[in-house]
Amino acid sequence: MAAGRVFAFRDARWAPDPVLAPSPAVRSPQPVPLVIDNGSFQTRAGWAAADPSVPAEPLLRFRSLAARSRGARGGAGAETQVGNDLGSPEPLRWLLRSPFDRNVPVQLELQELLLDHVFQRLGVSSQGCVDHPIVLTEAVCNPLYSRQMMSELLFECYQVPKVSYGVDSLYSFYHNRRQNWPCSGLVISSGYQCTHILPVLEGRLDAKNCKRINIGGCQAAVYLQRLLQLKYPGHFAAITLSRMEEILHEHSYIAEDYIEELQKWRSPEYYENNVHKMQLPFSNKLLGSTLTSEEKQERRQQQLRRLQELNARRREEKLQLDQERLDRLLYVQELLEDGHMDQFHKALVELNMDSAEELQSYINKLSLAVEQTKQKILQAEVNIEVDVVDSKPETPDLDPLGSEQSLEDVESINEFEPLFAEDQPEVEKPVATVQPVFNLAEYHQLFLGTERIRAPEIVFQPSLIGEDQAGIAETMQYVLERYPKEQQAILVQNVFLTGGNAMYPGLKARVQKELLEMRPFQSSFQVHLASSPVLDAWYGAREWAVEHMTREEGWITRKDYEEKGGEYLKEHCASNVYVPIRLPKQAPRTTEALAPSRALTSSTGNPCEQV
Amino acid sequence: MASLLPAAASSPAGAPARSKKRPASPGTGSGPAKKKKVAAAAGGSQSAGGEAMNENKFLNTDSSAGSVETAVKPLPFKDPKFIHSGIGGAAAGKKNRTWKNLKQILASERALPWQLNDPSYFSIDAPPSFKPAKKYSDISGLPANYTDPQSKLRFSTIEEFAYIRMLPSDVVTGYLALRKATSIVS
Repeated sequence: MAAGRVFAFRDARWAPDPVLAPSPAVRSPQPVPLVIDNGSFQTRAGWAAADPSVPAEPLLRFRSLAARSRGARGGAGAETQVGNDLGSPEPLRWLLRSPFDRNVPVQLELQELLLDHVFQRLGVSSQGCVDHPIVLTEAVCNPLYSRQMMSELLFECYQVPKVSYGVDSLYSFYHNRRQNWPCSGLVISSGYQCTHILPVLEGRLDAKNCKRINIGGCQAAVYLQRLLQLKYPGHFAAITLSRMEEILHEHSYIAEDYIEELQKWRSPEYYENNVHKMQLPFSNKLLGSTLTSEEKQERRQQQLRRLQELNARRREEKLQLDQERLDRLLYVQELLEDGHMDQFHKALVELNMDSAEELQSYINKLSLAVEQTKQKILQAEVNIEVDVVDSKPETPDLDPLGSEQSLEDVESINEFEPLFAEDQPEVEKPVATVQPVFNLAEYHQLFLGTERIRAPEIVFQPSLIGEDQAGIAETMQYVLERYPKEQQAILVQNVFLTGGNAMYPGLKARVQKELLEMRPFQSSFQVHLASSPVLDAWYGAREWAVEHMTREEGWITRKDYEEKGGEYLKEHCASNVYVPIRLPKQAPRTTEALAPSRALTSSTGNPCEQV
Repeated sequence: MASLLPAAASSPAGAPARSKKRPASPGTGSGPAKKKKVAAAAGGSQSAGGEAMNENKFLNTDSSAGSVETAVKPLPFKDPKFIHSGIGGAAAGKKNRTWKNLKQILASERALPWQLNDPSYFSIDAPPSFKPAKKYSDISGLPANYTDPQSKLRFSTIEEFAYIRMLPSDVVTGYLALRKATSIVS
């Protein structure tokens, strides 16, 4: 292995998708199916046609994100950008929205935006409807409500002729099938948001024995991001999720034996040879805004004190004014008591008052106000005294927030030096203990040592991030034990790994080792990895669509939708299992809901009461 | 461009505001008007849910004058009068403008009449682990045999311990939060 190398982040920008002109074969003799792999990470879309002029590849691949950015010139530039049009996710990170909640689409307006993007860029030209049958992927055991909403979107907004729903991992399984189909196997599909263990018997999903672990690539990226941000607090802003994804895709691997691998990383030579140093772009801000929390508290206290002083001053001024006015009113009242009626009445008119009673009530109010202000001033003084006693000594005349003092910086740098020395733990002497000059390039590098195996490991050991679900190995064992021994042996002969999060080098070896540990002594098993774990779902769906284009099975027609409701599902070899429960149709703005067929309370429509 | 200002200005970001723009009536109003002028079917819903009829008429003239493609160009393959029924739900209008999130959907799914062996989204959640969790150092990830009593961070070597003792409190809380070990009372 080469000595630990320095890598740069590619920070690739996405190229916007052009509007494609599909070949005429997509519409003749009949409109061909449109295959959309609707994933929480990425959407892949393309045509399914046997004709060679139609490419057998997904023509569109984009992140399932949309952002509505306000234009720079007050509202007039507000536009919604979808997928690759965003260019780069980082500047708009806080505006990015996804229709997905975990692996289920819930925000169907955003889903509509994504589908609009798909149809527009693929060059769908039919008027008033999308003429092509749609093959769409859905979550394993998709909630009926979600399917109902999705069917409503497809059938009513886009007027699609027929729809087929399937599970992406099963399509991938179908694509990677060997000679004898239907076959059985255990599908392990690790995606962006969750990982599924799906036993397939005779080509059909055995849904009641499936299990889902809620950990996927997203959790790994967030974990890695937090690890690095805690280790390098000075580079908080430079450690972005996109860069984390880059690290996961290119610099991480799964250890075959986690403990053993960690022991290897203990040795300093191994560390030196295998650490990946990620070079961050140079930035001038040396620890500029990394105030520790104590320093932040200091600043806050100073601000508070300033505010208090300001308030006290204001109160005093107000007190003075009120006092003056009160005196004037009292003088006028005295005029009345002394009997100078004319002067009294003139003064009253000046004061804009009508009678002595009004004058009296004004006097009362004012004296009350004066009293209260005096009280407040007294209290505030007491507080300030208490603060002065408690507070730590502060540097006088601090600049307003935001300015950095070079003295502070140098001190902080020195403070951090020994911390960086800790990154090369053992034999290597700490680079510099207290030295104002230090290696600028190294300061801007992220050292990836054990992080390379820690982040992907969370799907095997969710306790690393505090989740109490079992990891892949234990869940596999749990699922297998729900079957009799003969079936276990059959399932284990065909363990199939798929999904974007399954692309780490070393996953197959790890799964084999786990199986070796859990299976009976000297029993056999076989593990296969999908030929292209990310795209195989799309390829499988396309194959299915091409085979079933003209057949009836597996397709939900518009008539089915209208008769049996949006949650209806036609089963096929790669689909979920349909549980025939009718949902009441969600009425848009009327208060009536159709009576459901099974004994069901009318609670479905109103989430406010539900939760 | 000026005509687009009212249309765009009426579409500030934010789900509640957006859902208000969904009502069909301006769309239906503009629909037939547009069909006379432009061959493409009206995409009234796309044009930021233009409220007033005037705005739609401006857009009509713009598009018929062959204006440049803006973000609000109507899409031909959609039904412009479509409203999602999930939004603005059964309790009519003022409440329930937002979509149900997954938690709410699952809560209402649980209430449905499932049979014992029916597979559903919440029944296929993986069970909690039976094996005791292995402890790893919060700093380096190596197997950790020791825990710092002051900060509750785990460490495996002496150097790590020294490093932990020098950490500012927010970094310490960060490491603990990473494995969900923060205590409620600080």
